[in-house]
Amino acid sequence: MTDLSVRALTAGYGKAPVLDRLDLDIPSGRLTAVLGPSGCGKTTLLRCVAGFLRPADGTVTVAGRIVAGPGRHVPPERRAVGIVAQEGALFPHLTVARNVGFGLTSLPRAERAPRVEAMLELVGLAGLGSRMPHELSGGQQQRVALARALAPRPSVVLLDEPFNALDTALRGDLRDDVRAALAATGSTGVLVTHDQEEALSWADHIAVLRQGRVAQHGSPQELYAEPVDPWVASFLGDAVLLPGRHEGGRVLTALGAHPLTPGSDSRLTVGTAVLRPEQLQLCSAEAAPVRGSVTRVRFHGHDALVAVALADGTTVRVRHPGPVSVVPGDETGLRVQGAAALRATAADPPGAAGGPTKKSTDRPPRAGLPTG
Amino acid sequence: MLAVPAALTGAFALLPLVYLVIRALERGPAFAWGVVSADRTAGLLGNSLRLTVVVVVATWVLGVSLAWLTERTALPAARLWAVLATLPLAVPSYVMSFSWLSAFPGISGFTGAAVALSLACFPYVYLPVAAVLRGADPALEEAARSLGHGPWRTFRSVTLPQLRPAAVGGGLLVALYVMSDFGAVSLMRYDTFTRAIHTSYRASFDRTPAAALGCVLVLITVALVVAERRTRGRARYDRTGRGSARPAQRMPLGRAARTAALGWSAAVALAAVAFPVGTLCYWIAVGNSATWAPGPLWEAAVATVGVAAAGAVVTVLLAVPVAVLSVRHRGPLARTLEHASFAGHALPGITVALAFVFLAVRYAEPLYQQWPLLVLAYAALFLPLALTGVRAALLQAPESLEEAARSLGRGPFATLREVTLPLAAPGIAAGAALTFVVIMKELPATLLLRPTGMDTLATRLWTHTDNFAFAAAAPYALTLVLIAAVPSYLLGRHRP
Amino acid sequence: MATAALLLPTLAACGSDSEGAGSGDSDNGQNADSGAADTLTIYSGRNEELIDPLIEKLEEATGVTVSVRYAGTAEHAATLMEEGEGTNAGLFISQDAGALGALSKAGLLEELPAELLDDVDAAHRGTEDDWVGISGRARVLVYNQELVAQADLPDSIHDLTTEDWRGKVAYAPTNASFQTFVTALRVIEGEDRAEQWLRDLQANDAEVFDGNGGIMDAVNNGDVEVGLTNHYYWYATAAEEGAENLDSRLHFFPGEDPGSLLNVAGVAVTAHGGQSEAARKAVEYLLSEEAQKYFAEETMEYPLAAGVTSPVEDLPPFESIEAPEVNLTDLDSLEETLALLQDVGMV
Repeated sequence: MTDLSVRALTAGYGKAPVLDRLDLDIPSGRLTAVLGPSGCGKTTLLRCVAGFLRPADGTVTVAGRIVAGPGRHVPPERRAVGIVAQEGALFPHLTVARNVGFGLTSLPRAERAPRVEAMLELVGLAGLGSRMPHELSGGQQQRVALARALAPRPSVVLLDEPFNALDTALRGDLRDDVRAALAATGSTGVLVTHDQEEALSWADHIAVLRQGRVAQHGSPQELYAEPVDPWVASFLGDAVLLPGRHEGGRVLTALGAHPLTPGSDSRLTVGTAVLRPEQLQLCSAEAAPVRGSVTRVRFHGHDALVAVALADGTTVRVRHPGPVSVVPGDETGLRVQGAAALRATAADPPGAAGGPTKKSTDRPPRAGLPTG
Repeated sequence: MLAVPAALTGAFALLPLVYLVIRALERGPAFAWGVVSADRTAGLLGNSLRLTVVVVVATWVLGVSLAWLTERTALPAARLWAVLATLPLAVPSYVMSFSWLSAFPGISGFTGAAVALSLACFPYVYLPVAAVLRGADPALEEAARSLGHGPWRTFRSVTLPQLRPAAVGGGLLVALYVMSDFGAVSLMRYDTFTRAIHTSYRASFDRTPAAALGCVLVLITVALVVAERRTRGRARYDRTGRGSARPAQRMPLGRAARTAALGWSAAVALAAVAFPVGTLCYWIAVGNSATWAPGPLWEAAVATVGVAAAGAVVTVLLAVPVAVLSVRHRGPLARTLEHASFAGHALPGITVALAFVFLAVRYAEPLYQQWPLLVLAYAALFLPLALTGVRAALLQAPESLEEAARSLGRGPFATLREVTLPLAAPGIAAGAALTFVVIMKELPATLLLRPTGMDTLATRLWTHTDNFAFAAAAPYALTLVLIAAVPSYLLGRHRP
Repeated sequence: MATAALLLPTLAACGSDSEGAGSGDSDNGQNADSGAADTLTIYSGRNEELIDPLIEKLEEATGVTVSVRYAGTAEHAATLMEEGEGTNAGLFISQDAGALGALSKAGLLEELPAELLDDVDAAHRGTEDDWVGISGRARVLVYNQELVAQADLPDSIHDLTTEDWRGKVAYAPTNASFQTFVTALRVIEGEDRAEQWLRDLQANDAEVFDGNGGIMDAVNNGDVEVGLTNHYYWYATAAEEGAENLDSRLHFFPGEDPGSLLNVAGVAVTAHGGQSEAARKAVEYLLSEEAQKYFAEETMEYPLAAGVTSPVEDLPPFESIEAPEVNLTDLDSLEETLALLQDVGMV
């Protein structure tokens, strides 16, 4: 059962479509993140679902009802799709309570105030109903926007990068509270974001969008462990990408031989092996099967990322827990734990046009990607 | 869905054109072409365009310099100068011309017309530019300063480009005003296109040549409007930043700069406000026709405020759907409708008035010589003023708020009523105030279309000056300026 | 009067020629009680200050309830043409003969009964008997008696283009009355002679003024010797400042010279206003002794009917003016006059 289902959706602003026959099913009552680099079409998708943009082709089904399809375009106000916009988009001329109550026109008048108060309580703003939006902090404004979107009990709530404009400290709390509020109301939430960390930590499901199509769709763990291709691998978290060869159920790379992940195609003989930096461990150079020299150390507190140049010139990144004893220039040994995924090498390598781009400055740095 | 009311507005605005075409072709296209293609027509057109270019440039200089001084520098008594910069709106262009002529008779001709019209029209540039300066995010200018640009270079490279749409939009209104003005060029004896139109009515009592020439004015208007739209480009002008902007810091003025700034502001206020008002007072002081009759003055004032208010409201109501369409649904239809609404503004008042006589007598007899028809004529004449204001206001209202309302179950009209209009209300009110002031001094359409027996301040002013009773006329003109000062003051405070 | 001079072009734009100063408070506001047989709507191209005081008397004398719409003569003429058969106007009071002629040609005026027309000289009414003059004004030469001896005054406008008058003549080419005079000159003497006269006048360094008021001031001050103007300007000035204080005097050209053109302000009943009866009563009143005296006193113009002679002091008797024989209805080619003035370079 899905609350939101998109089929063969093609849409755009000019001649070149931004969405290219996109298919997507959002499971009910769960939180799904639609993740993609800027320009991938996630905002276009959101506007098609909300009804602000008329798709060129394909259908959008909300709660079992086709709201956009050939010859059919249900206006936004009759879709029962809630939206929390990037900047909150609170009506500056209305109080907080009137903002939250804005969508409750079908509710009997007597029930509106209690509902508004309940929603404000849900988002942790009980008693602030009489304030004006500009009297609230940015985080509070986003909470009001969420309360406003949830108040009419929409089938789906779309969240358009709602945490973007907030500082990091606020983000975590607000994310958790939003999750809780959505769960409490049993809402189906769709978070549109370009922040992979946010998607991984917040969502039950992630749909990675790339050039107008869904590149991969699944739980965060699935996506992290079994990315469909090197592009998704490096877009979702840090990845160590190395040329690999399949031989007798193992993957051979410059770091040695690794077991193959269950999701790997056993028929593939040559491709790109995907490892995660935390699978790599530093060890003493003497005993190690693989050696390299440390080129850079980036300390993060809970862990550190150490870049190591191998003998063949490849640089890999190692996530090392706790304090690090090596400094650039040191020789070190490397050890690999766990399985590697082997994927066909992409026609367009990560970092090329359409690949992930680093937009957000507060994302962890990703030095050590093959393309640097 | 707004297309229906917007189309109605567009059709309404085109009514004078229907009349114009019927009249122009009354004696066949050959006759009309003969009028239009006469050597003299080209010469007059050249005169009109020359005057228009000079006045537009002069109003840019006056409007932008004063807006910057009053909004961005530590000019002493900035509020006072701001109000004085909007007050010329209330001075009829022929009162402006007259006061200048009486002091400097040698000014008549091109120079006089250019001076009088520039002084009468610069608020059209000042108001939108000052509003943008008030609302603009100072962060951009601060960035430029931090990148090593001096104040003057920052103004030129950062501030001025932000002002461009407002200045060009204001310049368009000025251009249309100059193209259709008759009072100033007639007094200053500068032969323009409108004088040819008036001559046709006055000399030969013939409406056909006037209508043919009017069609040319409409074509020029279309060209001007299209040119203005081209300069708009694709830039966005709504604030995308969060929260309310800090007001910009005013630039401190050194001793010499302060003196120069004060001198310039004072000189413009003197030339554009004190001069005409002083002339009116002089009329009262020296004339022996000064019969202080508070009764008719009060009646005329009440009637003026009444029709001007009704006119402003109706004009704004007609402008809203076109403005919404043009801002939110850019497309060929929206563009056409917006252009259409400028049709009436470039035509002399008498031509538009006769169009309404023609149409009302044939198709709306019960309205003829009743105030609703007069109000509609005002709307046809001044739609662009309201449209420009409403449009600017809507551009500043973020679209995301409308989308939020739609997603919360409001239809397009409910969204317009509950979100867009309340947000744009101050700007819409400013557009209404501007329209109100301009309607107050309107004469030709008022004379022809007013209900029998109704007098406005402008018609009273005309009655007395027509009779050379200048002292008797002056109180009406002064009252006009005083009443108009109220909305002018509010206009000067408006911030988008 | 300097003020008056400056404002003239604008006022002319409003379609009216100038008039002498009116007087009295206005009390407007009568609304038409439409439909009734004894109501009348008047379109007046003459000033409210002049017409309004007369309306009360008119209502009293005729029993007709009147409402008046004021605007410039040209505006009213254009409006009447646009209204056509749908007009609300029963009566049109015009500032000059040209507008009446144009409306007559358009077939929008109703023939007046003989008993009304007979009161006024045939020269001062429409050839179709559908309008009648109610007051007249003469073109004159105003001269400064300190600078010009009576014996040296010209006999004709043609003398003004001779060397004797080089740089001594003032005229106002943008003024409607001057333009009507030029139209008459064209009709009387032909296009070529009219053009020649204008060119000669210009070549003779005649001085251009904005309006008649300016000419009057300049001649009074001795800035210029003589000026071409309308007769009532002088009388209006004399009434205000006292004739004995003025250095200027008027000279009427003799011998039916075009320079003594007599133009009229007139009145007509509209063909489609449906108020003929009331309108005729109004015309009858306007030609009555009371009304004629009123016009003569207020405007210093010549009364044209009811055997009334102007009560204005020093005004030469109407009969003494040797005006040129020209049909006022023929003076409707103002456009050609303007084209001529433009060709010559005067406007």
